[in-house]
Amino acid sequence: MSERRPNFDDLVGTDLEAGERARLLRVHELLIQAGPPPELGADATVVALRPRRRRVALAGLAAALGVGLFATGAIVGNRGGPGTFAVVTMTGTAYTTGLNASLTIFDVDDAGNWPMELEVEGLEPSPDRRPFELWLTRKGKLAALCGSFLAEADGRTVVPLNAPYRLKDFDGWVVVVEGSESPLLTT
Amino acid sequence: MHASEPSDGQLIERVASGDKRAFEELHRRYARAVLGLALRRLGDRGRAEDASQEAFVAIWRSARTYDPSRGSGAPWLYAVVRNAITDGLRRTPNPVAELEDQPGGEPDPSEEAEASWTAWRVHRALEVLPEHERPVVEMGYWRGLSQSEIALQLGIPLGTVKTRTRSALARLADALEGELR
Repeated sequence: MSERRPNFDDLVGTDLEAGERARLLRVHELLIQAGPPPELGADATVVALRPRRRRVALAGLAAALGVGLFATGAIVGNRGGPGTFAVVTMTGTAYTTGLNASLTIFDVDDAGNWPMELEVEGLEPSPDRRPFELWLTRKGKLAALCGSFLAEADGRTVVPLNAPYRLKDFDGWVVVVEGSESPLLTT
Repeated sequence: MHASEPSDGQLIERVASGDKRAFEELHRRYARAVLGLALRRLGDRGRAEDASQEAFVAIWRSARTYDPSRGSGAPWLYAVVRNAITDGLRRTPNPVAELEDQPGGEPDPSEEAEASWTAWRVHRALEVLPEHERPVVEMGYWRGLSQSEIALQLGIPLGTVKTRTRSALARLADALEGELR
């Protein structure tokens, strides 16, 4: 977790009316005092918020998501039921054989966000307790962060995530450990 | 919180009459805050998860003792949860966690209590943020990213990051206003 203290003026600008500025500054200080919520802390995941498990059927998706999206064919999901837009399979690399994951993408919400559920098998907590991150990729590089999580000790982790992006702007997903660009799981 | 939504106190009263939906809504609102408090107190994730479950059981069982004339729902919930966690700590003491109460580098009990109460309110308030605003707060405050870095990571313009941050802080101010009275 970062020790850098966020600068209030950088965050909200300097053109606020005095009363509103004081109100938001109070919240700013409270956020700093409170520290990260448990799912972002060094020792926590949000098990209490873990969503229901659901299995959905798999089928072709590339056409549904548009030209250029995951042309490798790694995405094999499609609409698996009401509210489910697609299911993406992810596998370990040559160095992380034995890992696999299923990313369920639910229907886009009114704000343009894609709620998702990532279910990972075989991924144990990192030795230094650093969280793992799910990224959208473009041309083989990390492009947009979709969320972070800590792995369960038994190797099976299910977490809710979110992609507030236009998916067709990207070409894949990867899971990395925070601070690294080496994928542990890829599409 | 929207004006049309029931207050915490109203939900507790409904829980007292056996309303499971009200209990689920309380769980949705406070799951993060409860787990955060348990982690802060116990320092171990597994025990914190157990304590969180026990805390919600305690809320269910104790809801009848809530008296709205004595205050809003959040302080009552905090007290019930804190007591449940403390009871769990007594049943299964952990030497590491016990260090929290010993003199030395740790804050004194009153400071720790105030910090816990602040975190409780703030983590609860985060539940009001829409999905597109929450990441800018998390990245800006707890991942140490600059606004430019957030824009890059989220793939949105810098101005949008500032707009979302300002909007998120305003929502949090609204949500925390009642709690801070």
